[in-house]
Amino acid sequence: MAGAIFAPIAYFILGSVPLTAVGMSSVIIGFTCIALANTRPYISPEACQLILRTGMENTASLLEELGLTGKAVYLPSTMRDGHPQALIPLVENGDIQQVKGRIPGRLIVRYGVNPDDMAIAVTTPGSINIDMLETKPGPTAAEIEAAATYILTGVLDIAHSVTVNLVDANVEVEISGARLQYEDIWYYRCLGSPIASIVAAISSEALQKPVRIREESYRQGKGRIVLEVLP
Amino acid sequence: MRIYNKYLISLVLVACLINISLAFAGQNDLELYFTVNIITYLVITLLYVYFNPRARRALSTISAVLLAGFMVIVVLKVMAILSGK
Repeated sequence: MAGAIFAPIAYFILGSVPLTAVGMSSVIIGFTCIALANTRPYISPEACQLILRTGMENTASLLEELGLTGKAVYLPSTMRDGHPQALIPLVENGDIQQVKGRIPGRLIVRYGVNPDDMAIAVTTPGSINIDMLETKPGPTAAEIEAAATYILTGVLDIAHSVTVNLVDANVEVEISGARLQYEDIWYYRCLGSPIASIVAAISSEALQKPVRIREESYRQGKGRIVLEVLP
Repeated sequence: MRIYNKYLISLVLVACLINISLAFAGQNDLELYFTVNIITYLVITLLYVYFNPRARRALSTISAVLLAGFMVIVVLKVMAILSGK
């Protein structure tokens, strides 16, 4: 607005081309600010946090009631009726390494041939975020990094930057400037923090293999997440 | 909103730098200022590929308008050259 008034004054009254250019630049930046302000979500961050916490509390209650302490395995959408989810084994030391074929779309599912091969399938923040990707990422570190950066930095704005490395059967992810920190609560111990959940879901979808969060730590604003890619 | 802040700060800094540099270089052609500002705007906007789809759509609209302005200047210049003025 100020630029739109200043530019004609600078050009016609002051006769200064550089000052007119400053006015024009202000107009461009002003329109950019207005456009970006209008693209922010209608729901307030507080409302979003409320919805996230409600979902987490409900899942945490279910996990605590069933006494599940095993680490969740994130499945790609092709193994779970087109919707990526996480499996938490009902038996603590259950071997969930060999998840094969499509898992039925139910809460309690069988993933193997043994009677103990039972798990509960839950939707995680990562499962929902996969739908926000415009294209499915490929199985390279660069493509996983681009997809994770797009979601965590561009769409959700909960991290500064993401670096992904594929090392043997592991995906090593470094997050800088993470806003959602790891807490030592039941939900996070099973399913990982929302950031780790998102990265795990993206990696699983990209590699088309089940993935488990092996390690998650945060130090001085930097997070390190190690994902184990299951065969 | 840090990515949006970074984007806007880079736009402001680059616009200031360009206008000051061209003013110190003694340029007095408004079209040149306008063209250079538009090109840098388009380049910076392209570099921020991680914006959400709604933000990118809004920025694409602004970019299209600016590009149209840039093309008008280019066409006028070409016509001036071709007519030998």
